[in-house]
Amino acid sequence: MIDKNYAHPAALVTTQWVSEHLSDPELRVIESNEDILLYDTGHIQGAVHIDWRADLQDEVIRDYITVERFSALCEKHGISNDTTVVFYGDKSNWWACYALWVFRLFGHTKVKIMDGGREKWIAEERHLTRAVPQFAHGHYAQIEKRRDEEIRAFYDQALAQSRGARHLIDVRSPAEFRGEVTHMPEYPQEGVLRGGHIPGAASVPWKMAVNEDATFKSHEELRAIYEDGAGLKRGDDVVAYCRIGERSSHTWFVLTYLLGFENVLNYDGSWTEWGNRVGAPIEKS
Amino acid sequence: MPYPAKLNQIIELFETLPNSEKREALISYADSAMRQGPKDGETFDLEDVRKDEECTDSVGVFLKISPSSRGCTFRVTLGPHVQTLTKAMTSILCKGLDGLTPEEVIEVPADFVPRIVGADLVRQRSQTVYYILTRMKGITKVWMNRQRSAQHV
Repeated sequence: MIDKNYAHPAALVTTQWVSEHLSDPELRVIESNEDILLYDTGHIQGAVHIDWRADLQDEVIRDYITVERFSALCEKHGISNDTTVVFYGDKSNWWACYALWVFRLFGHTKVKIMDGGREKWIAEERHLTRAVPQFAHGHYAQIEKRRDEEIRAFYDQALAQSRGARHLIDVRSPAEFRGEVTHMPEYPQEGVLRGGHIPGAASVPWKMAVNEDATFKSHEELRAIYEDGAGLKRGDDVVAYCRIGERSSHTWFVLTYLLGFENVLNYDGSWTEWGNRVGAPIEKS
Repeated sequence: MPYPAKLNQIIELFETLPNSEKREALISYADSAMRQGPKDGETFDLEDVRKDEECTDSVGVFLKISPSSRGCTFRVTLGPHVQTLTKAMTSILCKGLDGLTPEEVIEVPADFVPRIVGADLVRQRSQTVYYILTRMKGITKVWMNRQRSAQHV
């Protein structure tokens, strides 16, 4: 049961809802994981795989694919402009939220997250298959350009946010925020030269938004964390960041879809850009 | 340095496979990872079960050295959250390093990993594919150090 008090409750669906809509031709289920081979080990019937790096990112420049490639990717998976796309994945839906956020960069607004992601689907002993579905090519009309300005922040914007004492939310682990480590526990060092956080940022680890079963916390609980705790207000401009932009996509989803904030940007350059940038100001505490 | 014969067979097999079949073969090896744990009644010279920051769950490495041939047998236990590639490498290494002497295990170069896994799968977040090999070499080194110390007493 999805909390009806969420600002956009339709953006979050239950595992039961997904299982009841698997044959809906207007809907495509996408699995997006950190574990590169997890989809191949078994996935929801009819779900296609989108890899956060191989499919969504440019191989040479640190940026996302072009509008042409995005259209081709969607068409390959039978996704048209009016297809509703439901994302799910491992790691409490980090990469599902990241993929959803990238779809939004390309103007695809019919998007949903399956609450609890892959963990919950498996915990409920729902069916998995290794059969890779084949869909007739969709027709995806290209948009003129990516809509970065709507939901994506770049270095200069994050810097202006810091200098203007406006809301910056650091969603990494507390030790990363304090600059004690430059990578999160259990992960390899991803090439960051300096530790710490953007001056003025508040530490609100992404994990605070989820329950043990990987589902999102209730509207009231989220409101207490982000509004009462971190002092955010709905009209505020907020920039969220982590290390490479996936955990902050999760928080971006929470703020945008579950709490109804309208001006949230995800700084996907995040700490791997900031912590390597010559002259970028850093705070440690 | 040439790869050990059993490992080399696996490497050569993977190198002949197209990418899609390579993935299937990796999944197949990953599926058999849970069978690489200690068998009933087995005893070991060294056991090392721990949760490291580099890996998403606990990994236990068990080493038995044959007194006659000095051949190594590795058994590995994996927590449920270990990544699929790590599971696959567990099965590959248990099979590929089986019977090598401790000195040979230490000498196995890590550069075979991209040849098995494929360069596109060895990337930033998949560095843990090297983790099991590191743990196997680590426990072997501990065994060798203890042997050396015992000889000097």
